[in-house]
Amino acid sequence: MGSEILRPPGHDRSPSTIELPAPTAWPIVSAFGLTLVFAGLVTSASVSILGAILAIAGCVGWFREVLPHEKHESVQVEERVPVVATSRPEVTQVRWMTEELHRARLPLEIYPISAGIKGGLAGSVAMAVLAVMYGIISGHGVWYPINLLSAGFFPARTTVEQIAAFHWDALIIATIIHLLCSVLVGLLYGVALPMFPRHPVLLGGAIAPVLWSGLLHSILDAINPVLNQRIDWLWFVLSQIGFGVVAGIVVSRQTRVHTWQSLPLGVRAGIEVSGRVHQDNEDGH
Amino acid sequence: MSTDAIALPGTGLASRPIVVRLHEWVTTVDHKRLGILYIIYALVFLLIAGIEAIVIRIQLIRPHNDFVSPQVFNRMFTMHGTTMIFFVVMPVLFGFANYLLPLMIGARDMAFPRLNAFSFWMTAFGGLLLYFSLVGANGLYGAGNAPDVGWFAYAPLTSQTFSLGHSTDFWILGILVSGFGSIGVAINIVSTVICMRCPGMTLAKMPLFAWLNFVMAGLVILAVSPLTAAQIMLLVDRYLGGHFFDTQAGGSAVMWMHFFWIFGHPEVYVLVLPAFAFVSEIVPVFSRKPIFGYSVMVGATVAIGFISMSVWAHHMFTVGMGANANTFFVLSTMAIAVPTGIKIFNWLATMWGGKIDFKTPMLFCIAFLFQFLVAGLTGVMLGTAPFNWHLGNSYFVVAHFHYVIVGGILFALFGAFYYWFPKMSGKMYNETLGKLHFWLFFIGFHLTFDFMHIPGLLGMPRRIYTYEPGRGWDTWNLIVTIGVFFQAAGILVFLGNFIWSYFRGESVGSDPWDAWTLEWSTNSPPPVYNFATIPEVKSRRPLWDLKHPDDPD
Amino acid sequence: MNATAITVTEHRIEWDRPDRGRVGMFSLIGAESAIFTIFVVAYLFYIGKSLTGPTPKDVLSVPVFYTICLLSSSLTIHLAAKSLRRGSVGTFGAWWFATIALGATFLYGTATEWHRLIYQEGLTISTNLFGTTYYSLVGLHGFHVIVGLLALSIVMTFFLMGKVKSEHAERVDVLSLYWHFVDAVWVVVFTVVYVLGR
Repeated sequence: MGSEILRPPGHDRSPSTIELPAPTAWPIVSAFGLTLVFAGLVTSASVSILGAILAIAGCVGWFREVLPHEKHESVQVEERVPVVATSRPEVTQVRWMTEELHRARLPLEIYPISAGIKGGLAGSVAMAVLAVMYGIISGHGVWYPINLLSAGFFPARTTVEQIAAFHWDALIIATIIHLLCSVLVGLLYGVALPMFPRHPVLLGGAIAPVLWSGLLHSILDAINPVLNQRIDWLWFVLSQIGFGVVAGIVVSRQTRVHTWQSLPLGVRAGIEVSGRVHQDNEDGH
Repeated sequence: MSTDAIALPGTGLASRPIVVRLHEWVTTVDHKRLGILYIIYALVFLLIAGIEAIVIRIQLIRPHNDFVSPQVFNRMFTMHGTTMIFFVVMPVLFGFANYLLPLMIGARDMAFPRLNAFSFWMTAFGGLLLYFSLVGANGLYGAGNAPDVGWFAYAPLTSQTFSLGHSTDFWILGILVSGFGSIGVAINIVSTVICMRCPGMTLAKMPLFAWLNFVMAGLVILAVSPLTAAQIMLLVDRYLGGHFFDTQAGGSAVMWMHFFWIFGHPEVYVLVLPAFAFVSEIVPVFSRKPIFGYSVMVGATVAIGFISMSVWAHHMFTVGMGANANTFFVLSTMAIAVPTGIKIFNWLATMWGGKIDFKTPMLFCIAFLFQFLVAGLTGVMLGTAPFNWHLGNSYFVVAHFHYVIVGGILFALFGAFYYWFPKMSGKMYNETLGKLHFWLFFIGFHLTFDFMHIPGLLGMPRRIYTYEPGRGWDTWNLIVTIGVFFQAAGILVFLGNFIWSYFRGESVGSDPWDAWTLEWSTNSPPPVYNFATIPEVKSRRPLWDLKHPDDPD
Repeated sequence: MNATAITVTEHRIEWDRPDRGRVGMFSLIGAESAIFTIFVVAYLFYIGKSLTGPTPKDVLSVPVFYTICLLSSSLTIHLAAKSLRRGSVGTFGAWWFATIALGATFLYGTATEWHRLIYQEGLTISTNLFGTTYYSLVGLHGFHVIVGLLALSIVMTFFLMGKVKSEHAERVDVLSLYWHFVDAVWVVVFTVVYVLGR
């Protein structure tokens, strides 16, 4: 199949001469003329007149090049035709999902979407535990961090007593924010963790939460000013790291799945077809 | 002919008299020669516009500097912007498209070879007309020579009342003439891509380079034409006493802004899509992997083309267009970040897991990826109307679009120069000098344009002639100017490397990078007919199929 | 692996691409449409914004006859191209001449209208905003009619020299596309200037 990719279209070998459009000066003459027509506006009318004459002469000459037939010149074909070869003939091949060997297309394996969701949910539990611990240790009680998270929705509650008290509406909103963010970040972990070449736990567990905290530090004043005033950044970073480590561990313990996008359509559709590996060229990439 | 006596002895290439060779270049309709003419022409203007940039930066190096007069300063930034956009970046991109498109799609020439020559000469004469203003525009008014109205030439500054003499007319006419050339070359590119593909190369099997340049040419057709129309209106105003932009007679200065930016913003994508095209060809070859998500890349390109026609007024948030218009243009500006982001992810995914070869072209492409990302992020910031009200027309804006054009487009362009120089010249460049160029330019770029954001945030407006000390701008401006000299040194190394390599470099074979597109299957430099026999292709990477006969794409 | 050393296999890829002249003409029409769009938008935006007279209502009269001339020339050029494709060169010449005559009549109509506006109504391009937009938009269209007529006349000259054959039908078709475009633009200009603008 590969040997017919690049081949002469005709019946015989390459011709000895090839017809190409003949060189001509008329395009530059008409371009120069047209430019002079415009240049006359900033110099003098005589320049425009000269330009118009040149442009018309150029057009006439140009038409005579192409009408009634385009002028061609014959060019001698060189004998020397380069050889197409590669210094890397080896291609990594794998054998799964199909009987035959086929080219390995990266990525071979990824985490399923469920891994990200599981990781996110597990991380959310870890983070919630740490946050509630902070509430208890700081002496404001378990509801304090929950109310702080949802404080952007309740600008009227400003005193420490109000924030430390139990509010069911704040609990619902804080839960929604917490779960939504956790699942989204978990999904991101599921996508990103296989791509980190080394130290996935360090990157996912420590560096990413610190970067994320830094980003929040700069924009928190705009999205949740009450939280920004009362936040304890040490605890905040700690709970973020708690999330990162737990989510990272849970994600990386999930089973990876093979990517299917490089496989032939028959395999992807689950149809038993023999000799199907190279049939589907369109889906190669 | 008795011109034999003029032949230059000893250069090795002068087997024929120089007059004959010059005549060949002037009358050529060969897409490769025209491409090289475009590129050399653009490099000459790159030096000129670069010197103008250096003058601007020296003037701003410290407070109360008077390196040049305020009048000269205005001319410098006007000519710098106009030249860089219209006579450097556009021609050089057209040059690469001209040179590479027929080779990549397996054709012998562009669809309209004579129109191609005509377009090049229009562009060239347009630039010469603009620069003729330096000697020709003084006129009877003594009103200064080169244009000084800024590269977007807002009304009413361009009216006869405020712009005496002919300097503004030179600006209009120079761009008008080169605009005809741009439209001509765009028509040519569209026709070439549609009609000249070799057998088997369906639209879905074209190299991404062809796709991106195809969309770019479509944008040129739809975006440069409005500029031509607006320039004609301005000429009517200035020469025939029309009132299009004359507010005294009921005309509207804001209409000029709209018309200019209807051109101006798609123009950014006209410039950046070919840069994407270079990166899309270079990154896979130096990662030894096929491009990730080809069809998504094509879709994102087409989406960028469409959305870019509807974002222009984000240049005009400070004009006071009203809440509805502001909201629409904020949203469309945010929307265009999505396909652009998709592209960045696809390039990263192409590199991921690949055997990356850090040659000079790849270095420039990697730098492009990260710098273009930053440029896109500051673009999203500026695309937010309230943020824009604070920083509109500040040095933050200047830093942002230079990050796009220098950090994005120019870096990709340098990558393209290094990648295709062996094909164009048949010689290999010097890798050490290439890396030296990269690091000099990289350091210079970041010194200049990273630190330029800060005086912008501190309130330094663009286009000011000088400034008071003690506003916190002094140190930053000093650093910015120092960076310029690193960049200038990098450019000199770049030019020196290519000139030296052209004459003394090692000869390379047809395919030094072990690449996969059709241009690498013919000689370096390619013969005038490109392919002795027109190839037939079966996949997106015809050379892969040839090199791996038992495992084709 | 040498490209030319490969044996030729039996079946060839079926390969059919559009005519480059047609694609080029459509691209040119795209560019021209963008130019006209800007002028039309300017005209629409500036309707009623003139600070002084004369206004469109006072001076413009609807050029019904000349519009019919121009629009019917689209039909005649279509018939001309069709007869050339069929090989009847004589019929082609007749229809082609009719097209040129109709186009020239239209131009004459524009010229008389402008003459009346300038010398009787005192409306020039610098009189007011209406004059500026009117003369530029109609003038831009008129310029395209002139260019079209020149191209048509060149073909007519070739016809009179007996050099137009049926194998040129494709080129004539491409040229007729341009003429159809000029006619279509007039529909827009007519609507904007004589219907909406009055």
